[in-house]
Order: sequence, then C-alpha cells, then structure tokens
Amino acid sequence: MAEILFYVLSAAALLFGLGVVLAKSPMMSVLSLLGSFFCLAVIYLLAGFQFLAAAQILVYAGAILVLFLFVIMLLNLGELGAIAERSNSFLDSTAARIGAVIAVGMGVVGLAAASRAAFQPVRVEPGKGLDGLEAIATELFGRYSLAFEAASILLLATMVAVIALAKRQRRGLKNGGRA
Amino acid sequence: MSPELLEIVVWIVKVHVIFLGMVGVAAITTLAERKVSAWMQYRHGPNRVGPQGLLQPLADGVKFIFKESLVPDGANKWMFRFAPALAAAPAMLTVAVIPFGPDVTLFGITTPFSIVDLDIGLMYILAIGGLSVYGVIVGGWASNSKYSLLGGLRASAQMVSYELSMILAILSVVAISGSLDLREVVMQQKTLGEWNILYQPLAFLLFLIAAFAETNRHPFDFAECEPELVSGFHTEYSAMRFALFALGEYCAMIVMSSVAVALWFGGFSVPFLPEAHWALGIVAFCAKVSCFLFLFLWVRWTLPRFRFDQLMNLGWKVMLPIALVNLFITGAVISFAPQLKSLWNGLVNGAS
Repeated sequence: MAEILFYVLSAAALLFGLGVVLAKSPMMSVLSLLGSFFCLAVIYLLAGFQFLAAAQILVYAGAILVLFLFVIMLLNLGELGAIAERSNSFLDSTAARIGAVIAVGMGVVGLAAASRAAFQPVRVEPGKGLDGLEAIATELFGRYSLAFEAASILLLATMVAVIALAKRQRRGLKNGGRA
Repeated sequence: MSPELLEIVVWIVKVHVIFLGMVGVAAITTLAERKVSAWMQYRHGPNRVGPQGLLQPLADGVKFIFKESLVPDGANKWMFRFAPALAAAPAMLTVAVIPFGPDVTLFGITTPFSIVDLDIGLMYILAIGGLSVYGVIVGGWASNSKYSLLGGLRASAQMVSYELSMILAILSVVAISGSLDLREVVMQQKTLGEWNILYQPLAFLLFLIAAFAETNRHPFDFAECEPELVSGFHTEYSAMRFALFALGEYCAMIVMSSVAVALWFGGFSVPFLPEAHWALGIVAFCAKVSCFLFLFLWVRWTLPRFRFDQLMNLGWKVMLPIALVNLFITGAVISFAPQLKSLWNGLVNGAS
C-alpha cells in the first residue's frame, strides 16, 4: 500500500514539476510547484518524518510560494508567450528552461554528494514524531551548528545586499530624473 | 466487535461530532455577528426567521444554495471554481488536532475528545492553516478583476508578514511547555496559577493581533475593505462559492480562538476544579472559545480599519522585534533558570 502510494506520489510530483516549467502563465507555474511540494511532503510522511513534512509545507508552501505569488501579482506578469516568441520559438525556450532545471538539479545533487562525503550523514530514527525532531535539533545545533549558522549568515548577507542594491537603484533614479 | 473495528467506529463518530459541531458553530457565529452588530448599533438585527431570528443561518444557507453562481467571462474558469474550496478546506482540516475536551467516557468507551493528537499538532496547525491564503490569492487572481487582484495581493503580503510574529509568539509558549502537542500543553495548565497567560502575556497579545490579521478580520480586513476594493478578493463570487469563503473565515476564527485557549488559557481545564467531570471540561472549553469569538465580533464593530502601510509597519517594525526579544528572553530564562534560582535564594537569605 505504502509502496504504491510512494510511486503514485512520485509520479505526481514529477508531473507537477513538469507543469512548473511548461505552464504558460507564471501563476500556474507557482501552483504546480505548490502541488509538487505537497506530494513531497506526503512522501516524507510515508517515510515517517512528520516534522519534516510539516516544515516542508510551513516553509515552502506557506511562506516562500506566497512570496512568489505576491511578486507575480505585483508585477502583473502576463503569459510568458511574449518572451518565448522573442527567443526564436516556444520549443527553444522550453528546452532552455528544462535544461536549466536539469542543470540546477545536477548541481544540487553534486553538492549533496560532496557534503555527504565531507560530513557523515545524520541518522534520524523515523516514525518517532517528536523524538525524531529532537534528534534533528540535536544534530543541527550540535555537530552541524557551524554549517547551520554559516547558512543563516549567508542568507542575511544576501538580504542586506538586495536591500543595498535596491536602495542604490532608487537613489540613482531620483538623481537621473532631476538631470 | 473486535478492538480495531471499535476504534474505527469511535474515530468516525468523533470526526462527525467535531466536524459537524464546528460547521454548526460557524453558522451560529454568522448569526452572532449580525446580532452583536445590531446590539452595538441599537438595532434589532435579524428577528423574522424562527424565534428571535435563531434560524437565520438556515435561511441564509438555503438562499446561498439556490442563488445563481456566476463565473465572470474573463475569469480562469477552473481556478475560479477551485479557489473557494482552497479557502475553506485548510481551516476545516486544522480542527483535527484541537483538543476540545479531556478523556470522554461514554457507553464504557474512553477516548480523548479530539480527532487526533499529533506530536507536532502546533506545527500542523501553522502549516495547514497558512495555506488558507492560497484560496484568497487564487480567487483574487482567477476573477480577472482589478479589485479582486488587489485584494489577493494585499492578503498575500499581510499573511506573510504576520505569520512570522504568530509563529514566534507560539514558539515562546512551546519553549516553556516543551511540547508541540496541544493536549500536552493543556495538561500542563491544570490550575489557574499554571495558565500560560501568567507567564507569556506578551506572546498572547502578539498572537491575538496576528490572529486578527491572519483571519482577515477587522481591523486588518484589507483583502476585502469595502470602501476601497468593493469587496476585495470575493467581489466576483456569488452563491455557495461566496458562502465557502465566509465559512472558511469563520472556521479560521474558531481555530484561532481554540489555539489561544489551549495555549494560554488552560484549554479544557476548569478553574478551581482540577478534577472536574469531562462534560464540564468541554463546556469550559466552549465557554472560553465563545469569549474569544465575541472579542472578534466586538473588535469588528468597534475599531476603525488600519491603513495598509500602517499594517505593514506594525507587522515588521513593531511586532516582529518584540516577538524576537520575547522569545530570546524566554530562552535565556529557561537556560539560566537554576542559576537565577540560586541567585534569588542567595538574595533572600542574605536579606533575612
């Protein structure tokens, strides 16, 4: 039963993933991504990682995708057809998009493999709910606390950089407008 | 009957009692909304259907079912139909982990009065509850109308901003109780002196403000906001689809009130009666939740609406820093509790 569910969900996740790159409207892309995240969360549940599943939905579906939607609606992006036409043909741009996704995926897999070689993988007993959570927390704030903090500082630096860039652009615009 | 079968039957009964109970309470809340507003404005309110207008929600329901359900011409048809379900479902799903009462014993069967007690109940509520914004956003976008789009846009910005403060406020309580299981948190507040409101009043205030924003209620109902946006994201919706949006909002109010009661006000524990009968526990829980629901209505018909930039300033520049500092202090006090205690003892002994 669980095995059948796993295959069905994996297939659905992949189909939604295809939807992300193939959908013409950016809104549908994001909603496909939402579907894909959901399938992943249920797969985590099947594996017994309740906390990971809840975190997946809370962080990705609940916060990050809402932000994506916000930007899409704020910029009022239409269909991507116009961009596709500019770059020769729709097929070309689709191929490019699929290529980009594969490249990023390979990169992630490569990074994961590298980090796996560098650190020993975390062993977390699945199916124990909060016990699993405790194990994750102990590993994250114990053995991996340096990497964890480094990641958070990287995110902070990115945020500061984006704000600085946005501010400079605005100031430039103001001066340019006067001249 | 075999034990497994009995368990399934008990479970099915519980699901029906709790789910239908919540939809019923949501319906009554719509009536209460109109009655309370009438009372505050010195009017009678609905009083024609049934005694004192008590059957008004039923009449409203019949009306919603028989009204024509319009789909605008330029709308994205599928997403337009899908959005109301997306708005109502999350609030109804979150009710599954709320502990409405202690262990209930009926016909010789003892079972906890909640659909399921998850170890990560609070995470579940935050994760699933956070999805209700998609109904608003997708509904606003699929309507293909500028008012709806602006409503959806506002909802997305508002939810992301206030969810952070809400999670941080809840984390402060989780830190002192050491559990994400709502029933576990309630069990730690058996007597009045153990209620978390005494230890985390600031977190409660932050949660309350964020709950108003998360449920799109006054004074933060910018996604609807009649004077500016006609009625925001549900401008184009009619009949049962509109009713589903309303149902989602009222269910979210009930869930938020229940979470507040369970985390800060002792849940189903009865003040001064730690060993009360289970029925009294359920009554106590319902009474506490009713107080919060009344607060939602009270605020709606009393306070004026914020301005949108004020809302953002409040969320990011006031509530988020306070919530972070509160969590930090809570963590520090928990970490250094033994040292603080010996320091206190030393001071007391030194003084005497």
